[in-house]
Amino acid sequence: MVTSIRSTLPEIARGIALLYAEHPVEADEAFADFQVRIARPRGLRRWVRPQVQFQFDGTPPFHPLPGDQAFPILEWGLNWCVSAHCHQYLIVHAAAVERAGQALLLPAPPGSGKSTLCAALVHRGWRLLSDELALLDPATHAIVPLARPVSLKNASIELIRRFAPEAVLGETVHDTLKGSVAHMKPPQDAVRRSLEPAAPRWIVMPRYEARAAAARLTPLARGQAFMQLADSAFNYHLHGRAGFELLADVVEGCECFELAYANLEEALAALEGMQ
Amino acid sequence: MRWRSVDSNLLMLREFDGELVVRNDVTGSTHLLDPLAAEVLRTLIAAPEGLTAAELGARLAEGIEEQADWSALIEPTLMEFQRLGLAERASSASPS
Repeated sequence: MVTSIRSTLPEIARGIALLYAEHPVEADEAFADFQVRIARPRGLRRWVRPQVQFQFDGTPPFHPLPGDQAFPILEWGLNWCVSAHCHQYLIVHAAAVERAGQALLLPAPPGSGKSTLCAALVHRGWRLLSDELALLDPATHAIVPLARPVSLKNASIELIRRFAPEAVLGETVHDTLKGSVAHMKPPQDAVRRSLEPAAPRWIVMPRYEARAAAARLTPLARGQAFMQLADSAFNYHLHGRAGFELLADVVEGCECFELAYANLEEALAALEGMQ
Repeated sequence: MRWRSVDSNLLMLREFDGELVVRNDVTGSTHLLDPLAAEVLRTLIAAPEGLTAAELGARLAEGIEEQADWSALIEPTLMEFQRLGLAERASSASPS
């Protein structure tokens, strides 16, 4: 996907330079799938309490945010661009990583720890396919990579800094709707292999619980996995019968588990033990 | 009272370990049926002429030695199927 991003805000320039450093840059006149702009809204507000606005084709699809949230609004806006337009794929709200040609799908609601697991896994030899939006191709049933920055929130930011000191994190922005947010740069290998899809092999529903006992994988009935995937999908309803067949085939070809965890290392050990 | 499934061509079914995932083309909704409900739906689909709850119970009980009040088990399932648009009360005349 090619995105044209226009902004005069320095934090946008810094964020792109740092976190999208591995992504190819197209010529100005190249076709772009999405035309977006991050700008300060006009008016007195600009001077009293500055805000930032995400524009898509010149129109803001959502309300502005406080002025220091420019990079998060860009990332959330790009997520919206994909989830609202890329209906050639069945889009599941899930992280996805790959190892030896086999993909692990981590569908989960916010707060479940999927991005934390995703960030940790890509520093343990798994390839990042996507942090937020798993794109399932109805023709091949494979996951099409969308190697963009991984969104870390609150305690996960320091957790990943300690877990992987080599991880490159952008500026931490506080007091967003999701709390404190920082984005992690996708590894170079993940960006370079953006045209290599991977077949789903495992579906794991993670659930971070501070008081969870030792992390372990618990088998999840495929019927339940199907329903949770369908619930997590942005556009299952748009795919009709083909979407049903796609999800059913994906679930049938995967081992399905739940993973309740409190300790990141234990969770990784459980996931790395999957055959 | 007789019950029958909606046109089975409008239903997509996929079984996973006894449970059945069903998509209903008319409503666009997808449902997960437990093994009993799955069997009730499959039995209704196989009987386009419609079945009473007692007849359904008799078919479900075939090959099962244990006695059970099948009607009591089935009635709530049929009502739920009606709510979900998976089954309907058949008119007294058989479908042509």
